Amino acid sequence: MRNRTLLLLALTLAVLAGTARLTAQQTPPPLVTAQEILDGLTADGARWLTFGGNYSNQRHSPLTQITPANVNRLVPQWTFQTGTLGNFETTSLFRDNVLYVTGPQNVAWAIDARTGRQIWRYRRELQPNLTACCGLVNRGFGVLGDKLFMVTLDAHLLALDMKTGAIAWDVMMQDYKNGYASTIAPIVVKNKVIVGVAGGEFGIRGFIDAYDAQTGKRAWRFYTIPEPGEPGHETWAGDSWRIGGAGVWVTGAYDPEQNLVFYGTGNPGPDYHSESREGDNLYSTSLVALDADTGKLRWHYQFTPHDVHDWDSTEVPVLADITIGGQPRKVVMFANRNGFYYTIDRTNGKVIAAKPFTTTTWAKEIGRDGRPIELPGHTPDEKGSVTCPDITGGTNFWPPTFDPSTRTFFVNAREACMTFYAWKPDYKAGDRFTGGAGQRGQGSEQPYGALRAIDPATGERKWEFRYLTPSTAGLLTTASGLIFSGDAEGNLLALDSRNGKLLWRYQMGAAMHGTSPTTYVLDGRQYLLVPAGTTLTAWALPQ
Amino acid sequence: MRWVFSMLTIAVVCATGGRLFAAQEPPVKNPLEGNADAIRGGMGLYRARCADCHGMDARGVRAPDITQVWASGRTDAGLFKTVKDGVPGTEMPANPRVQDAEAWEILAYLRTLAAPAPTDPPRGDAANGEKIFRASCAVCHRVKGAGGRLGPDLSRIGVARSREAVLQRIRRGAEGFGQGYEPVTLTPPSGGPIQGVKKNEDLFSVQIMDTRERIQGYEKDKMKSVKDDTQSAMPIFGPDRLSDKDLDDLLRYLQTLRGFDPAVAP
Repeated sequence: MRNRTLLLLALTLAVLAGTARLTAQQTPPPLVTAQEILDGLTADGARWLTFGGNYSNQRHSPLTQITPANVNRLVPQWTFQTGTLGNFETTSLFRDNVLYVTGPQNVAWAIDARTGRQIWRYRRELQPNLTACCGLVNRGFGVLGDKLFMVTLDAHLLALDMKTGAIAWDVMMQDYKNGYASTIAPIVVKNKVIVGVAGGEFGIRGFIDAYDAQTGKRAWRFYTIPEPGEPGHETWAGDSWRIGGAGVWVTGAYDPEQNLVFYGTGNPGPDYHSESREGDNLYSTSLVALDADTGKLRWHYQFTPHDVHDWDSTEVPVLADITIGGQPRKVVMFANRNGFYYTIDRTNGKVIAAKPFTTTTWAKEIGRDGRPIELPGHTPDEKGSVTCPDITGGTNFWPPTFDPSTRTFFVNAREACMTFYAWKPDYKAGDRFTGGAGQRGQGSEQPYGALRAIDPATGERKWEFRYLTPSTAGLLTTASGLIFSGDAEGNLLALDSRNGKLLWRYQMGAAMHGTSPTTYVLDGRQYLLVPAGTTLTAWALPQ
Repeated sequence: MRWVFSMLTIAVVCATGGRLFAAQEPPVKNPLEGNADAIRGGMGLYRARCADCHGMDARGVRAPDITQVWASGRTDAGLFKTVKDGVPGTEMPANPRVQDAEAWEILAYLRTLAAPAPTDPPRGDAANGEKIFRASCAVCHRVKGAGGRLGPDLSRIGVARSREAVLQRIRRGAEGFGQGYEPVTLTPPSGGPIQGVKKNEDLFSVQIMDTRERIQGYEKDKMKSVKDDTQSAMPIFGPDRLSDKDLDDLLRYLQTLRGFDPAVAP
């Protein structure tokens, strides 16, 4: 009997102890808060929660474990393979030792950042006859609470459960059959998920949307092309505004102090043949500053009025507070596809400095009024006209970086020219609507690329590192004085950010195309995460 | 009896199925090749749907050069399928709105960009041209599995390049170099220079075929110099080296080279 009592007691204690352990394990990990996103990249390296690392899109990490002196000792820790067709264009999010990664073809994963092993996989059926112009890609998740936000190639916005990848809600932004698609990484501002649509080559009318993160209900929409009665509508001839393009497919920045989001907008359509859309075509090829709560336009700056070269201004805007001429200035930095680099006052949209960062033959300079002073002979026609930069531009959607400690903006620039042609196109809903094409020069004109370091106060170049051919890789700087890049031949490169000296390289077998390396700390070790082709590789110093 | 009936049924079904399948497949050959109206229509379609990525001249902008697709061994039927269905996993989309006839028109036009049809009647003696080829060209160029490898394989030159383009190449040399045939000279720390053609290159290394047809990669920082040569390895054959008559014969022979079937009989 006594033995039975003791046994019962022991069992009861065991159960209680077990329950206690279970209870402790059941304490849920904290949800992702708006404050965490606002804090951006912190010194402990514990997270990467938004496309650009922080709302300013600086992609500058405070981490210092990997240095110019030891970067050549980096060794791979693991490699993740997508197992899908198509390449990465994503920025992975990192939190609580897990990576959240979007891939091509509407696929996404949660991955154990220690081992590279998949935790869950999400796959959305690809609709037939998608109109994504330039690859079935995706540029990354946004996150808030226990939800991840992801756009789809058929122009939907999804919320996924962070723990399982299950759909929490699914909202259609526009009908993909009319030429709309979406590839942008959302940003989450307070309780809103902000996204845009692609389709500038398919006669869409572009917009930026905000959705409630909890419910998926649309909070506001800003059309990048004003309708009749709205300011700016007069810059479109006739009905051209209805199909004028101006998609938004690259992530913007957010300034919490002014509560403004800044987005670059795409090309007007038809891309090259522009008779049907006489006028400046606002707000195509512009930077728009919108109230984050309402979507109301605060100011805009148009980089290329009445663009005829497909020079989307969907490059990444980078925010910083810097001193120029002894005065503290709140700026947005922007290296544009049209070949000019701009430093703009982000309180009012006025140009502070503008200078070509690649060869530009279409405009002499940016005038005092902020308009480009254009040179004659650069309107495409059936005979063709040679213009620099080419269609792909002086740079494009691949992210730049900014190191505040040295006040330096870095961008992967392209040197290339092209003959542009134009002819009158017919519009059919959902069909290509470009009205022209380009032709590369034959023979000795070999395009090349360079990583360029620019002083944002003046737009002057500090140094450059030349590539064999134009690179389409994004960039990352760290507080230890490193800049990470890649070339088109598949080399991952680490350079000294003060002078552009090459410190380390590794042949990855595929180029980073539109992707940047990111970095974080796990178990006390700094990792470098590199998406290239269909692989994601994590690097760290040897233990 | 039942067995015989079943076999007959299978045979009939197979035969019918085979015919049905064949009926759904695109013709092996472009039915509109060389058709002037189709080429004109194809130009409009190409410009509206293809040129933005492949370039006005189809030599590639955001997407690859497609003027040499036949030269690389693609067939009309395969290209028709690519136009209609796209290339999964790449930026080449399916084109469900393109009708079959329109796809053939696009290909008919593309063919003219690759190798415009000759307007003059053919002339020259192909048999003599082949002898000249073997004596003067085959050391560097391969045809149907025989010959050198330093220059491009010419087994399909008859569909890849116009007569005029080949004539220019022989008489006056080329402007620029084709990918994989750019001449280069490497100078190692010791020994003589290594000459060859570049097969691949990045900032740090170069992969070549040298003049002995050895394929090999070299690290640039281990070399004293790596120099791109401005002169092609392909000599210029002026009238002093190749008479007009022999040139006609050689061109006639080259025009007959339209691919070959490497299948080996069992």
